[in-house]
Amino acid sequence: MMNKRTPIQSVILYTLVLALVIFCVFPFLQILSTSLKHPIDWGNPSLIPRVLHLDAYKELLGLMPAKEVDVPASIQRLLDNPALSAEKKQALLDKFTSGGDVFPFGRYMFNTFTISLITGICSTFLASLAAYAIARLRFPAQSLMANGVLFVYMVGGVLLMVPLYQMSVNVGLASSASGTILSLFLIYLIQTLPVAMYMLGNYFRTIPFSLEEAAMMDGCSRVEAFWRIILPLSKPMLFTVFIYCFVIAWNEYLFASVFLKQYQDFQTLPLALQTLFTSKNAIWDRIMAASMLTLLPVIICFMLANKHLSGGLTDGGVKG
Amino acid sequence: MASSILIKNEARLGLKMVAPAIGIIGLLVIYPILFNIYLSFFDVQLNGTKTFVGLDNYSDLLGNPRYYHSIGVSVIYLLGTVIGTTVLGLAAAVLMNQEFHFRNIARGLILLPYFAPVISVVFGWQFIFDPVNGIYNHVVVDVLHLTDTRENLIGNPDSALFVVILFDIWKHFPIAYLLLLAKLQSVPKDLYEAAAIDGQNAWGRFWHVTLPELKFVIATVVLLRIIWNLNRFEDVYLLAPNVETLPIFTYYQAFAGIVDQGGAAAISVIQLLVLVGLIWLYVRKVLKW
Repeated sequence: MMNKRTPIQSVILYTLVLALVIFCVFPFLQILSTSLKHPIDWGNPSLIPRVLHLDAYKELLGLMPAKEVDVPASIQRLLDNPALSAEKKQALLDKFTSGGDVFPFGRYMFNTFTISLITGICSTFLASLAAYAIARLRFPAQSLMANGVLFVYMVGGVLLMVPLYQMSVNVGLASSASGTILSLFLIYLIQTLPVAMYMLGNYFRTIPFSLEEAAMMDGCSRVEAFWRIILPLSKPMLFTVFIYCFVIAWNEYLFASVFLKQYQDFQTLPLALQTLFTSKNAIWDRIMAASMLTLLPVIICFMLANKHLSGGLTDGGVKG
Repeated sequence: MASSILIKNEARLGLKMVAPAIGIIGLLVIYPILFNIYLSFFDVQLNGTKTFVGLDNYSDLLGNPRYYHSIGVSVIYLLGTVIGTTVLGLAAAVLMNQEFHFRNIARGLILLPYFAPVISVVFGWQFIFDPVNGIYNHVVVDVLHLTDTRENLIGNPDSALFVVILFDIWKHFPIAYLLLLAKLQSVPKDLYEAAAIDGQNAWGRFWHVTLPELKFVIATVVLLRIIWNLNRFEDVYLLAPNVETLPIFTYYQAFAGIVDQGGAAAISVIQLLVLVGLIWLYVRKVLKW
């Protein structure tokens, strides 16, 4: 199999590899390129912008100087009227200054980051306990649980959206912002728990039992052995699972759209981006810059976890 | 005596450790599945008011041409994406199993689509097919002169379905590739050597050695793709909300226009039955419990 390739075979091989890589990477380059292009440059099919245009990023990151307020003369006359109260003047002015033009990207980023972080931590923690028990301990209904997890994992969110929404309405969570966020957090937990349990369970099974045995001979209890031996040994896998859960929550759109529609301040990035895209402010450079900034944390996570992720996915859960 | 206490302690500890996770899953997955069946017999409003309507939701659904239309769209979507991801995944796995320079970089790069958030790549795809600025129309109209008019592929539901399929293949072939590559790497080398001695060329070796060895994993990939794509929502809805696959239809029934949550529940119940059948198949044939 390892015999030398002929030059023609080499050319074919490298061409195919290159074609595949371009197919995979091209949309990303398109996003990056458009985010850096000036509006007059959009029709230019080249990926390289004629002039570097960073306004979209500056605007999203709040680095743009506040725009001069452009108030029509008729309104200016109204504003100059001393009979009008200061509050009313301010309200009038706001109509022209805000105009839905500001996209609070930082806020959405913060919301998404917070809920993803909490989901990732809680899910990894709860899953590590459950996965260890299922992998190592004997207790009633154990195999039922082990198999049930896989089943649950395959029931998609679409099938659960109506009952979960109705449940949160029935218990009164959907009527307040904090309740809604709590519902959403719990939903993200169940979307990540099964896969986390599956990946961790498979990993724990690869750790030799003799390590725990030795620890218990030295006087550790079972819990201590788990805490002091198994968890530290599993650090890379725990981290991978955390990243995986984090990314699932970071990407989630369906439930965010169902639950957060009327709570604009608490929206996550996927929902906010979709709203931005369908709004009158849909400007390609801005959309692409926002996409790029949403993508960035995921790419970083991916690079951090890449080494273990591929293995973890194929040995453990298969989410796709 | 001592050992029975140990067994009891172990069981108690085990139950304690699984309790939080299993509790949450039971409350938020198992219970909702049952609650969903219950809801499908009611007329349900967004604010939670329910009126019992018996089987009306089901009979309405079975008399609704949009339902059959969405089933048709889903079938095309499933066929296209399952075949596409499997074939491309297999090709990529065979390719990446060869030795060449920069292999690790190439292997990393082709995983990117799979990990990227849907929301941040759909707009890139929208832009590619944009009638005014997109590279697709530029190539088809201005470079190749295949047609004279720039077309809005995503604006038209019929052509949008194919863009959605292509997008899904792009986004999800890496997972098929990963599964197939893992298996490919474990195929014994001497099988290939034996085939080479028998005078098989590269294609023959692929056909007589690689494929039979991968048969099982390919079946797994196909089944898993069907299961996942039956429920796929975001990828379709965010790229082209006018492509009405089953999950999109359910979403519109439940949360848009004239809200019919009971009807949506009925669709979900039917879809769940199909899904359970597929999962059963997966468990029986692939995992062999």
